[in-house]
Amino acid sequence: MDYSVSDPTDFSHTSIPQLSQLDTLVRCHICKDLLKIPVLTPCSHTFCSLCIREYLTREPKCPLCLNELRESSLRSEFLVSEIIESYRSVRDALLESLMKNQHNDNGESLIELTDDDNDDDLEIVGTNSREVNKDKNENSVGKITKPSTSSGVNSLLSSQRNKSNTKEQLAQCPICSGFYPIQALERTHLDECLTMQTLDANDNIKKRRPTPPIPQIKSPKSSSKPKRGAGTKDDVSHVDKYLSSFNTDQRRERLPKINFASMNLSQIKQKLMSLNLPTYGSRQNMITRYNHYEILWNSNFCDAIEPVDESELRRQLTSWEASHNPSNSNNSTNIISKMMRRANQGNSYQKLLADFKNDNFQRKSWIHMFRKDFKNLLKEAKRSIPRSPKTIDNVENQITAPENTEKA
Amino acid sequence: MSLKRITKELNDLGRDPPTSCSAGPVGDDVYHWQASIMGPPDSPYAGGVFFLSIHFPTDYPFKPPKIAFTTKIYHPNINANGNICLDILKDQWSPALTISKVLLSICSLLTDANPDDPLVPEIAHIYKTDRAKYEAQAREWTKKYAV
Repeated sequence: MDYSVSDPTDFSHTSIPQLSQLDTLVRCHICKDLLKIPVLTPCSHTFCSLCIREYLTREPKCPLCLNELRESSLRSEFLVSEIIESYRSVRDALLESLMKNQHNDNGESLIELTDDDNDDDLEIVGTNSREVNKDKNENSVGKITKPSTSSGVNSLLSSQRNKSNTKEQLAQCPICSGFYPIQALERTHLDECLTMQTLDANDNIKKRRPTPPIPQIKSPKSSSKPKRGAGTKDDVSHVDKYLSSFNTDQRRERLPKINFASMNLSQIKQKLMSLNLPTYGSRQNMITRYNHYEILWNSNFCDAIEPVDESELRRQLTSWEASHNPSNSNNSTNIISKMMRRANQGNSYQKLLADFKNDNFQRKSWIHMFRKDFKNLLKEAKRSIPRSPKTIDNVENQITAPENTEKA
Repeated sequence: MSLKRITKELNDLGRDPPTSCSAGPVGDDVYHWQASIMGPPDSPYAGGVFFLSIHFPTDYPFKPPKIAFTTKIYHPNINANGNICLDILKDQWSPALTISKVLLSICSLLTDANPDDPLVPEIAHIYKTDRAKYEAQAREWTKKYAV
């Protein structure tokens, strides 16, 4: 897990502290990170596609204005997406050069120009994607040096050109998303990263769309997007991606929400198999698996500017499951800590737990309550001592029939 | 996701601490925090320091954090177990909220109690009928438990 976090206040000690506003505007209000696959709500708020879709499975309302919100009314925002991706790719370099600027004031007019430009783009984003009152709107328009109407592709292009100047020192590796001196990145690092990823990449190489004849701008591709074919990696700019985003042939039907209550186990298994998903685990495990896959799928095929392959989605699902179902991860300490955690939360558990050490402890209901967890623990134990199956079976019988334990 | 977001909030609290509140993890467990709130100067809790415990659910921020006072406090919306009756900790929770904002809301709950949605009806009744008595009692408890 990556513990390093970026924050708008990173900019408050640079020569342009106002940039922290911009940095705040391009963040998702759910994960507080830079927006990934931004989607727009009917109430004009923008969130990461995955964040808002996951939240909407719990509460059908907008986290910011609490208005009613349905998943089907979300719309993707390709322009915002690419603006943020290009911002993401220069953010660290920008921050570093602004810090340097602060220390030795050598009048780096080039870099200042870049920031203004950057600001322009994002002011426009701001007025589009957030509920800004009219006053502020007018102010920000007033600040923009170039009229915003002419800012489409031209402004994107010019900002792109300037941005590519700022990354003289550092650039982000598109594969491992680390930052390296650009020369080292081009000469050695990319190759190293690629050879390590070739196995995965072979599965995922998708024919890229033809590139419009726009001056080639080398830009480091963002980290958020998964790996793709090696040859195309460096020479597709965010501008191209935005311009070619409308003729994609990779869109798929969205996956529907399913009412699992009316389905039996084999129907659920069939549904999962039709999507090439694994069918192990309990009924609840499988339902959770489908529901999360549906979020990943719809976010990818309905919202993403550049959808990834199904196999990549399945990989994401697997790693999500590993981090969200401790009981699946063959780790008995996890099971125990989960039990204890639950015991700390639930009221009835707490009542039981209070008597844990004295005679009033209700062993029967405790066993009953954690029957499933005990079974998992036993499975664990069974695996580690396969030679004495009889004793374990005995214990297991006691667990499955907790009434008997009292008599015994 | 929850871990990253909680780490981020911790970071933010360090850089831009809210007035009269503080919060941070207890030991190594990032999901379990302790917080302190200074009694607002314009309230009968002035001069007291109140401690709270914060538990983040694993699906934070989709679910609200569980927050309770560990310091005894005389307040119509906070009961003897320290449970707080605050809409944003229940049905009005939004993932756009942060611990910092929640703590500020609790601060303002200390200044302006909500006796129409009480957790302790007796205190709410006194609050509504005999404000001076409520303030005296609250001040006494603050002196006794929170100074």
